Amino acid sequence: MALKSAIRNLRNNPHLLFVRLPNLLSFLCIVVGVVWLLLLPLNEYSRNTYISENALLPGQVHAYFTGSEQNIFRGYKRELEGLLNEGQERGGQKDEAEVTAAVSDKVLSILQAAGLKVATQKYEYTSAGITHQGENAYAIIHAPRGDATEAIVLVAAWKTADDELNLNGVTLALTLARYFKRWSLWSKDIIFLITPDSKSGTQAWIDAYHDMHPASVQPLPLKSGALQGALVIEYPFEHRFKSLHIVYDGVNGQLPNLDLFNTAVAIAGGQMGIGANLQEMWTHDDSYEHRLQTMFRGMTKQGLGYATGAHSSFMPYHIDAITLQPKGEGWEDEMALGRTIESLCRSLNNLLEHLHQSFFFYLLMQSQRFVSIGTYLPSAMLIAGNFTIMAIALWMRTGYYPETKPKTETKKPSDEKAKSNAVAERKLALPLSLVVGLHLLGLAPLWIFNNIFHQYFKTTTYIFMIVDITLPLLLSSLLSTPLALKSPIIPQQYHLIKSFSLLLLGLSLSTLATLNFSLSFMIGLLCAPLTFISRIQGSAPFRCITSALGLVVLNLLSPPTVLVGVCWYAGVDVETVLTQAAY
Amino acid sequence: MTVLSILSLPFVALLLSLWNSPVIASDYHENLLLQPLPQSSLLASFNFRSNTSQQSFDQQHFRYLPRALGQILQHAHTKELHLRFTTGRWDAESWGPRPWNGSKEGGTGVELWAWIDAPGDDEAFAKWITLTQSLSGLFCASLNFVDSTRTTRPVVSFEPTGDHSVADELHLLHGTLPGEVVCTENLTPFLKLLPCKGKAGISTLFDGHKLFDAAWQSMSVDIQPVCSPEGECVVQIEQTVDMVLDIDRSKRPRSNPIPRPVPNDQLVCDTSKPYHADDTCYPLEKMNDKAWSLTEIFGRSLTGVCPLADSDGSSEQSVCLRVPHERGVFISEAAEEFKKEDGFTRCFKLAPSTSFDLSIPQQPVNTEVPLDEPVLHAERTIVGHGQERGGMRIIFGNPSNTSAIDFIYFESLPWFLRPYIHTLRATITESNGLPREIPASDIIKETYYRPAIDRERGTQLELALSVPAASTVTLTYDFEKAILRYTEYPPDANRGFNVAPAVIRILDTAHNAPVYIRSTSLLLQLPTPDFSMPYNVIILTSTVIALAFGTVFNILVRRVVSLTEAEALGAQSLKGKLLGKLVALRDRFRGKDTKVE
Repeated sequence: MALKSAIRNLRNNPHLLFVRLPNLLSFLCIVVGVVWLLLLPLNEYSRNTYISENALLPGQVHAYFTGSEQNIFRGYKRELEGLLNEGQERGGQKDEAEVTAAVSDKVLSILQAAGLKVATQKYEYTSAGITHQGENAYAIIHAPRGDATEAIVLVAAWKTADDELNLNGVTLALTLARYFKRWSLWSKDIIFLITPDSKSGTQAWIDAYHDMHPASVQPLPLKSGALQGALVIEYPFEHRFKSLHIVYDGVNGQLPNLDLFNTAVAIAGGQMGIGANLQEMWTHDDSYEHRLQTMFRGMTKQGLGYATGAHSSFMPYHIDAITLQPKGEGWEDEMALGRTIESLCRSLNNLLEHLHQSFFFYLLMQSQRFVSIGTYLPSAMLIAGNFTIMAIALWMRTGYYPETKPKTETKKPSDEKAKSNAVAERKLALPLSLVVGLHLLGLAPLWIFNNIFHQYFKTTTYIFMIVDITLPLLLSSLLSTPLALKSPIIPQQYHLIKSFSLLLLGLSLSTLATLNFSLSFMIGLLCAPLTFISRIQGSAPFRCITSALGLVVLNLLSPPTVLVGVCWYAGVDVETVLTQAAY
Repeated sequence: MTVLSILSLPFVALLLSLWNSPVIASDYHENLLLQPLPQSSLLASFNFRSNTSQQSFDQQHFRYLPRALGQILQHAHTKELHLRFTTGRWDAESWGPRPWNGSKEGGTGVELWAWIDAPGDDEAFAKWITLTQSLSGLFCASLNFVDSTRTTRPVVSFEPTGDHSVADELHLLHGTLPGEVVCTENLTPFLKLLPCKGKAGISTLFDGHKLFDAAWQSMSVDIQPVCSPEGECVVQIEQTVDMVLDIDRSKRPRSNPIPRPVPNDQLVCDTSKPYHADDTCYPLEKMNDKAWSLTEIFGRSLTGVCPLADSDGSSEQSVCLRVPHERGVFISEAAEEFKKEDGFTRCFKLAPSTSFDLSIPQQPVNTEVPLDEPVLHAERTIVGHGQERGGMRIIFGNPSNTSAIDFIYFESLPWFLRPYIHTLRATITESNGLPREIPASDIIKETYYRPAIDRERGTQLELALSVPAASTVTLTYDFEKAILRYTEYPPDANRGFNVAPAVIRILDTAHNAPVYIRSTSLLLQLPTPDFSMPYNVIILTSTVIALAFGTVFNILVRRVVSLTEAEALGAQSLKGKLLGKLVALRDRFRGKDTKVE
């Protein structure tokens, strides 16, 4: 009965129904959304990881990559090292191309001597005025008895994602190529890809593999079948390592199948006794704080959606890929990494179908703990929902609840009480065109930032900041000046503008939440104040102060400010960030 | 009956031998050719051929031709049959041209084509189904899955190799199973068809472990009528097994098949390197030919000679080896060696009932057996990504510097791959290395295209092409992927769907027989549902109906009235009054309060 009387109360009190209640509901949505996210690391809401695809059988095979293979590893390494040093002695820069060619030839000759089919691919990309060019070398082990329908890729880039020389990684790939060639159990082709860098090289190769490459990238002369998985090897230092850091974030927040990650963790931890880390959490004591921190780091990377390593390029083509990075000072050597990769390849080789059993949408909070989309999605959905609630409330308000307080610009209808049940006519032209126009205007920065040279990024950012601050002021003054428009704008139209904007925001965010949860969540939180701004009433000084304060808050949360702020906080140059983004 | 038939056996045998004596054509040959290939591989090519006169075939008198197969052929009115079991891929780049010019191999999996004598298309198809069902049982292969969607009727890609009488109305039907895994269960029935059944002669070398460990292997059965100019006809059955063995891998003992890292002292290192040390080794890949022997490679030795084989002239020398004559080859004592004039081939005459072994020691290579350049390179791949559409890209490379090459390209596509032939484009890359788009009609001479019908038949595309000298032609077309019905997905739907290899028939005047090349099979990813989805849907809908239906029904049916209205309603009639009382009573009973203020 309490509910009924509450509904009756609401019906009798339109101000409560149309103004106070939506505010309350929206606020509640945001609070619940945030709290929901904070609850996720608890044991009750997260789950232990498990291998879903039974065919993987991680760690069920003995890895034989030891013994005299290490001598060969050292031999290959000294050979490549000799070529690299030779280049440095002769004076660095000028001979760089020559050294690269010599090293590339050596890599190819080693792979060819091991009995693999080799090929090269030249590529050239231009982004933000910087030209990325190089030559990929790759080799294929044909699966004995196989028919080139499926393949696994092993990638070793000369430069890691952090721009370090990956000599050990490349050497390990070469040694593994020679070692794998002897096995007859491969059911899939194994492709060894040696790229000059971690981004453009793999991107060029994978694009060309699917024939989606631009004209500046050469097509691949040698191909295999459908790619089932990719592993990236990084080992950019000389000392022994302690644990394996598994990087799994793809571009635009795409993630590899959780089974691949789990297999890597199971093999590293269970079979080889090497600890596995993720999201740069070197000491993880499985406490709430650490889980939350891991999750937030994962969400940040997912939300920003940039390439975190050579594996990221594979994700858009629905190829599951991870990077293995040895980290720390310990007693594991390159052979241990080699055995891990051997065991991983054996697991992938067992696959009968493309990885599909496990989750593609998940948040990891420890190497063996995750939450799946069903558990975390309500959080972002609630935040997106708050905009929709407000938008609907505003729409209703414009129709059923005309402003009771007299405004200077509007003529208050005298028989308001009588009309309260009828639907008021909505003036849609101006709000609609304004909202659509402003959203289309957003294409301008997108185009500009994707096409200008990197030197001008900083200037452009500041220009856009100024535009961002001044444009709303200009627009609002234009709208409130009776001279600019034929008929003066009425509050209903203000509400409609807000309603449409919020509706669009809510709609996009809830759609985005299913694809890239983190991005949707972050945008949702940053935009949350938009729900609660409204025309401020009261005395003139109070109005001035509050609106000025509101303006400052809104400007602080505007995209360029956030960009500059985060860059300043993280100590990165704006230019670098934007160059990355434009890539 | 049994006793009678047993008693009558000697008589029948006598009668048959009398019958047989005037017919000369009944004979049996077997031959094994061994040829070392680059990259420590060895091609072993087995051939078994026997003839039966048409007359005895018609009278169901089978001697060399297996009865099981002969009766199937007669039942299905099949005049000519070609059956192929293939795994792996032929590496033309290192191994050169294919054995038998590719005419004895099929695409990956199982391939079957036959000429069937029938008055019409429908009758031919019915006979074809009979044939595939029977062969499926005989060869333990899933040939019964060759249904109408996997059957095509090629127009120009195949021609009968046998001599057929003009009176026959022959229909060519062709079917492939690209996903079929060929294994020992197919080898055993294959061996049973041989006259010596793997007990004597070269067929004793067949060991399932070694045969199916080969890098590439192909088994074929061909049956066709062959007529002499005098008009005397025989039914010829030819069975071949070709395999490329990896010498290193085959030499590993079965007790220790794991390629463990070799002990440090057995590493072959390049000692000239300055950094060479006990723990550092730049491996030196062996430049010498590997040493091997028949027993090591095949895991067993060759025992005796098949006594049924003809003992005249060349067919006596049943094992041949293609290595340069200066290479030393050790053979068992009882066997004789004959060197041929070409400088590379030598054949061996085996002694009956003794085992034969052949071994080649490790020697530095001075001359090599020349390998011909393949006449055409072909590669077919699926390009593009996503679940909705994709593209097919076929690359033809003509290595010849002087002459253009004419060939027929044949592909049969499953119905759920819907090609858009209007998007067929050709790009040519000549010796300058720059790709240039040309109208497809410039290189396509003729097109035979039969579009697919959903769930009934696949697409059949035959193109007569000509690739100019020293150039590479790339053909591309787009296709759309159909969405299947829930029940049409196989159990391993996420693996993708196999697309049968394309067949290329080269029309070369230099070779009398046509040269065949097959591309690799492809894996097509179709939009695949998550198969737990139907269950989720069922669970969700049940819950929603249970919860929502109850509530909605309640709201729709219940009438909410105020107390005064109820009284007014109730006062109208006696029945109403009674009803009102009842309702009030019930409500009080349940402790409900329907009063509305």
